[in-house]
Formats: sequence, C-alpha cells, structure tokens
Amino acid sequence: MEIMRLVVTGPVGAGKSTFIRSVSEIEVVDTDRRATDDALLIKKRTTVAFDFGRLQFGPDMALHLYGTPGQSRFDFMWDILIQKAHAYILLVAAHRPHEFREARRIMTFMKQRSPAPMIIGLTHTDCSGAWDAANIALALGYPDPARRPPIVAVNANETASVAQAVISLVQFTWAGSLAPAT
Amino acid sequence: MTVTGYLADFSLPELFQLVEQGNKTGLLTICTLTDPTTVARHNHHIWLSQGQIVAAGNSLDQQGLMRLIAQRGWMGDRAVSRLAQSCQLNTPLGLCLKNQGVLTAEQLKLLFYTQVMRQVCALFALPDGWFQFDPKAPLPVSEMTGLIATATDVTLSGLRALKDWDALDEKLPDPSSALISVVESKPSLRLNPNEWQVWEFTNGTMAIKDIAQQLNLPVAKAQQIAFRLIVTGLAEEMPMIAAPPPAAFELAAPTSLEHGYATSVTADAAGAAPVSQSFLQNLVGFLKGKV
Ligand SMILES: Nc1nc2c(ncn2[C@@H]2O[C@H](COP(=O)(O)OP(=O)(O)OP(=O)(O)O)[C@@H](O)[C@H]2O)c(=O)[nH]1
Ligand SMILES: [Mg+2]
Repeated sequence: MEIMRLVVTGPVGAGKSTFIRSVSEIEVVDTDRRATDDALLIKKRTTVAFDFGRLQFGPDMALHLYGTPGQSRFDFMWDILIQKAHAYILLVAAHRPHEFREARRIMTFMKQRSPAPMIIGLTHTDCSGAWDAANIALALGYPDPARRPPIVAVNANETASVAQAVISLVQFTWAGSLAPAT
Repeated sequence: MTVTGYLADFSLPELFQLVEQGNKTGLLTICTLTDPTTVARHNHHIWLSQGQIVAAGNSLDQQGLMRLIAQRGWMGDRAVSRLAQSCQLNTPLGLCLKNQGVLTAEQLKLLFYTQVMRQVCALFALPDGWFQFDPKAPLPVSEMTGLIATATDVTLSGLRALKDWDALDEKLPDPSSALISVVESKPSLRLNPNEWQVWEFTNGTMAIKDIAQQLNLPVAKAQQIAFRLIVTGLAEEMPMIAAPPPAAFELAAPTSLEHGYATSVTADAAGAAPVSQSFLQNLVGFLKGKV
C-alpha cells in the first residue's frame, strides 16, 4: 500500500476537523470534547487528540490526513506525525485575527521540526470581519509576496473546496514531478 | 483593503508591525470603547506614510498641530493659520514654519515628541479599542511636523515605558516557549542591555523562564522583553515539545489514530517515504473529480 500523509494544522476552531471530514471516506474518529474556558469563547467542542481521516483512491493507494488538536500543547505526538508527513496545510480562520499569533507559533514550530512543504489555507473568508489574504500574509510574517508559501481560500464545509486545497498542496509539494495538468 | 478589528484580538504592537512590514500609507483610527466613567468615546488617529508614523492626533479638523504650537505659547493659532497659507501644497506645516524661520529644529522635535511619541505610546496601555486602517485617507500636511518615526521605534519606546502590561498580557509569549531569531545578522535596532541579553538566547533551545533565571530577571520581565523582540521583527516564539507523560502514548494512539500506525512510525527511519509518479497523478485525478 502506497500512502501519502498530510497534516492539517492551525489554531483552535480553524476548521481542521471539518476539513478532514469533508474529504475522508471513512467515518472520522471523533475526539472532540467540550472545550475548556479559553476555547469556549470560540466554540463549544474542540479536538483533544489527533483527527485521522483516510481516502482510498486505488486498490493500493491511500491518502491519510492527520489533524492536530486544537488546544493541546505541542507534545511528542506532534513530532512523530510531522516527521512522517509529506506536506502540511496550515488553516487560519480569516475572520479571527486573535488567532494569527497562534498560527505564527505553530508555523515556527513546524518549520523548525519538519522540512515538509507547507501551504496556508484561509477558512471563514465568507464570515464578516474576514481579513484579505494580503493582510493575513503580513500578520503571519510574510511581507514579501514573492517569498511566501501559497495561500488558498478554502471552505472546510465544502468537499469541492477542500479537494481543491489538497490538489494545491500536492501540486506545490511535487511541482517538479507532476506533469502539467491535462 | 481596509483592515478592522479589536485591539484585544490584534494588539497595537502587532498592528504597527503589520503596517511597517507592509509599507502602508494611510490613516489608522483607534476608537476607545465606551468607558463606564466617561460618556464620550475617544478617537485616536495615526497617519502613516510607507510604514512610518508621520503624525498623530485626536481629531480630524486639521488643527491639532496648530493647537499644540499655541499651547506651547510659541505663536497664536491665528498667526499660524496666516503663515500656513503661504506654505506649499505638499509641505508639512512644521517644516514650512521652520523654513520660514518661525520654528527652530529643536522646537519641531519637541512638537513631534508631544504629538506622536507621547500620544501614541499612551495607547499601548489601552485594554481594548476598535481599530480601522484606511489606506485611502490622504496625508494631512497641516498635522505634520515633517519628522517621522518608524513604527518599530515607537513600539520599542512605548513598550519599554509601559508600566501596566495587563492589556497585552495574553499576547506575551509563553514562559515555556523558546525564542528563535529571524534576522540574519545582528539587529540594527538600538536595543537596551536587557534586550541584548535576551537576544543572545534566541537560538530556539532555551525556554523563556530559563532565560529569565539565567539573567536573574523576573519571568514576566523576560516575557515582556521577548515580546518586544517579536513585535519588532527580530525573533519568533518557538513552542517547545512538552515532555511525554509516561502513559500518554498508549492513551493517544488507539483512540484517534489508524491501527498500527504509531508502532510502524517509530519502527521506520525518520522522514516521509517518497510516493510514486503514478500515485500523484491518480490522486490529483481523483480529487479533480470532486471539485
Ligand atoms: N462559515 C464557515 N465556517 C467554517 C469554514 N471552515 C470551517 N467552518 C466551521 O468552523 C467550525 C469549527 O470547525 P472545526 O473543524 O471544529 O475546527 P477545528 O480546527 O477542528 O477546531 P479544534 O479542534 O477545536 O481546534 C465548524 O462549525 C465548521 O463548520 C468556512 O470556511 N466558513
Ligand atoms: Mg478539531
């Protein structure tokens, strides 16, 4: 069995679990629990362990998706997963500037620990108060548009949108080895 | 595009970092939220040109600088207005008055200090406020001295002088995080001795609380210094791995992860196994069918 492992990370409530559910064919293991006080302001339920989703698209080919827990501290499980990841997507809710700093922390952590390529997925761009991609890029520490990871808008609730984001991630990661799209 | 939000979500030092890194020109307005002790709301305006602060004030009537000059007793508003009429269209009022010989360079500096440094630095202590950055607002020459300060300099001075950190408490890096430098060479900013000391530890290996201990600083103080290094673009907060509790592995693995995954992972060599060309083609083809 050939397997590609993608990690879906990002601050609490960015849409990681939803993203994985939208593209997985198996019932995603639900590890959501009542959020503690901090996260309650944002949402009622939060993921306490890693999400896992799977998509088999050939007899011996599968995509595995891992979602990082929303509130947990960076522990050894993160390390194990990101060491094995082919690529990752950082989800950031565009309407929640409060979480931009957390997104930066996660990014710094990931970059330090893993050489895997990353793209940024902006969720909640349909919500009021959403910032535009250029300003979010600045807030995440990417002043130079020519030197930043690809940024895509994605609605984690829509399968088509999530599929497109995964395509972007795959195409970015294997830019050299994928033949031009037909 | 206009940027809006609340300072409790995106703090003033972060906002300054954003406008500076984005070389932004325009008007930043901060509207303090109704304070129970006063009925009126207060607006604060900060004008920026290419990421640098050129003026500040609390009204849009274009008279703020004139009032400051009058307050100093250097000249009455009327005299200033009259002189201002002969200024060239795009010349800052302060500079124009200096060119006419009515204000000295020292006086201009003092004006800028009062108008920008003092007013803006006071805003770092605001517990909250609604902000809006309007990139289309014209620069008001009649509010400008002609002097400028980088947003980073204002942040550094403002945060150094800040006594009450309550408003920013939540934004400070975690004591268990390390710091990692994001600049290639020694910072060109003028850091103070404590900042230099903390800067020496920006290699991603030592937790801020341990840096504090090494330097004999209170942890809160070290966090504040670290925050200054972060919002001035010198360092980033680097979360460190928490030590695993002895039983955590068994707890975490079976509930959430694919069976056998955790064991196979530890058995393998580090890094992701390469995937084949046909795998990639198939995957992309399959996903395209869902779009
Ligand atoms: N309107 C809108 N809602 C979205 C979007 N993406 C995700 N959501 C919603 O955001 C909420 C939070 O999503 P989750 O998938 O639970 O977020 P999470 O990142 O797993 O959260 P934690 O596990 O707590 O970190 C859900 O109600 C989603 O339906 C989007 O693009 N637009
Ligand atoms: Mg979740």
